[in-house]
Amino acid sequence: MSPLLSARGLTMRYPGSTVPALSDVSLDVLPGESVAVMGASGSGKTTLLHLLAGILTPTAGSVTLQTAQGPVAVHALDDSGRSRLRREELGFVFQQGLLLDELTALENVAVALMLNGVPRALAQAQASQWLAALGLTGLEDRRLGALSGGQAQRVAIARAQVTGARLLFADEPTGALDSRTGAEVLDLLLAAVAQGRTLVVVTHDAQVASRCDRVVTLSDGVIVADTRRTPATETTSAKARA
Amino acid sequence: MTGSLRTTIALARLFARRPDGDRMAAALPLVSFALVTGLLLIVVGGSQAFFTMDGTNAGFYVALAVIALSLLVVPLVTLSAAAAKLSARRRDDRLSSLRLLGATTSTVTLLTVAEAAAVALAGAVAGTALYAAAAPLVGLLQFAGEPLGSRVWLPWWVVPLVWLGVALVAAGSATVGLRGVVVTPLGVRTRQKPGAARGRRAVAAAVLVAVAWLAVSSLQAVGSVLGFAGVVLAMGSTFGLGLLALDAVGPWYVRVRARRLHARADGVAALLASRMILEDPKAAWRQVAGISVVTFVGVIAGAGLSLVNVVGDRSTQQDTWLMHDMRTGVLVTLGISFVMVACTVAINQAAATLDRARVYVSLDRLGVPPTLLAAAARRSVMTALWTVLLGSAAVSLVLVFPIVGMAVLLQPLAVGVVVAVFAVGVALVRGGASVAHRLVPGILARPERVL
Repeated sequence: MSPLLSARGLTMRYPGSTVPALSDVSLDVLPGESVAVMGASGSGKTTLLHLLAGILTPTAGSVTLQTAQGPVAVHALDDSGRSRLRREELGFVFQQGLLLDELTALENVAVALMLNGVPRALAQAQASQWLAALGLTGLEDRRLGALSGGQAQRVAIARAQVTGARLLFADEPTGALDSRTGAEVLDLLLAAVAQGRTLVVVTHDAQVASRCDRVVTLSDGVIVADTRRTPATETTSAKARA
Repeated sequence: MTGSLRTTIALARLFARRPDGDRMAAALPLVSFALVTGLLLIVVGGSQAFFTMDGTNAGFYVALAVIALSLLVVPLVTLSAAAAKLSARRRDDRLSSLRLLGATTSTVTLLTVAEAAAVALAGAVAGTALYAAAAPLVGLLQFAGEPLGSRVWLPWWVVPLVWLGVALVAAGSATVGLRGVVVTPLGVRTRQKPGAARGRRAVAAAVLVAVAWLAVSSLQAVGSVLGFAGVVLAMGSTFGLGLLALDAVGPWYVRVRARRLHARADGVAALLASRMILEDPKAAWRQVAGISVVTFVGVIAGAGLSLVNVVGDRSTQQDTWLMHDMRTGVLVTLGISFVMVACTVAINQAAATLDRARVYVSLDRLGVPPTLLAAAARRSVMTALWTVLLGSAAVSLVLVFPIVGMAVLLQPLAVGVVVAVFAVGVALVRGGASVAHRLVPGILARPERVL
């Protein structure tokens, strides 16, 4: 199976820093799999997510995303090209939903479609279906201040999926939630994977990682373990730090 | 010296020395108070010139200066409040940490008020330079046939009094602002809820306008019974009732317009703009309310004075100057009001943009065009501004429709000048509302500072 996302030799050095945040990282993400990226603070896991998602441009290396229109060299796109790619092809869930306070739950989800040119009425109809699917029926017209942390995170998950993005990125999506609500949010993200989407999740939480198909562990900017879980067996390809 | 006061002074000195990574956030309140002080000194200095005029119309000039000053009070107070609020809100994060460490409510309050006053004082001193730079230009304005010249310079002792006044306003506003929030060790949360802009305000405004219209209609009858003083009283009442009507109906009208915008919005910027207004229609109104008063006066006085050129019987050169000067005064007052509103809007937009820096960065990561939120914020301001402008103009037209109609027909050039001043003013406010556009690239260039 050809990878949905392919990174080769990714290196990232922030301006003013003598130590690279990432060094020569290569990674393939297959369609329909869930990948947890783990590591201590400062290990480079958020930097890796930002490079894979086209939020940052690598100092060296390449990122290629398979889209319906063919492969796209993410690292070579200009700023507006990467923005368009994120808007149209990718979905994001952050630790805190980071939704727009002024808008209702329904409008926050619909905005993702409206930004891609979908008329408001159609966007709101589709957003309503997603909110219902995520158990938020009756809360569509509530503003964010009237939603719990878990409900707001569900709105963020709906926003990430409503555009039809095949690849979802999540950065500590359960970090600000209690364990029960966190588990429910993870259920929803993995349900999206079961429906054919691909998930890359950055997490500190071993519980979250244990439910993913694959765990990539980073330390000091390099991959030190890449564990794939299959129904029958688990294969581990750990490599020593270069 | 009490222990609490000693602690407060020690903390204030500590924070005053701290290296502040966010220079923009630190500089904004300072710049805001500098603008407030500069404009205040320019207005007071300009008005002072009228108190030293000679001639038969000297009394009129004093009266006109007082009217102009009173018209500028609303935008000036709004601008001062915006600067003071900006100064206070930037400390929120620190207040809760201090409470967590055991600082008492009185220590936190005292620290906030003292800091607000100190920043305002520093800004006021800087604003004096703005006044010094602008005063020679203001002195070029011609009144009573000669330039104002050196009469716009205030006596030296007025300047420290103005500094003190600005510092006191900042301290007072910080105190009032703290009453609106609850500072706990776990964070700062807002106590107050945005006030509703109810429809009954429209009814009250309609009644006020009706009474004002009656007062205008009965001018002749009042004049025949009570003489000139009665006419002045009736006109003053009309003016006051009109202003009350504007303030009563303003927030409600802004909300109605925002609801219509929301219902029709098919783009993200329009949707966000309407929601930003609906979040607090009173605040949206208050931000640009200073223009309502001056628009009201500008339409009436602008049209009326244009007609004086046609039908007025001016027997002396001084009377000719008076008519000319009244028109100049109206235009200058209108211009200064627009500058103040533009500054208020710029301060509010800058504060809101910095407060929402995390959202800007996050939306950028989602692929949202970075200028979208800024465009929505600008649109929310301009929607409120147009609502205020057109609403105020409509109320004044209702009161003096025949005069305005005749002015348009008989003196199109004079009316055109008034319209041009409005157009430049709107462009100025639009510039102020665009300040977020300039801040966003800086925020996105250093996302690690806000996330």
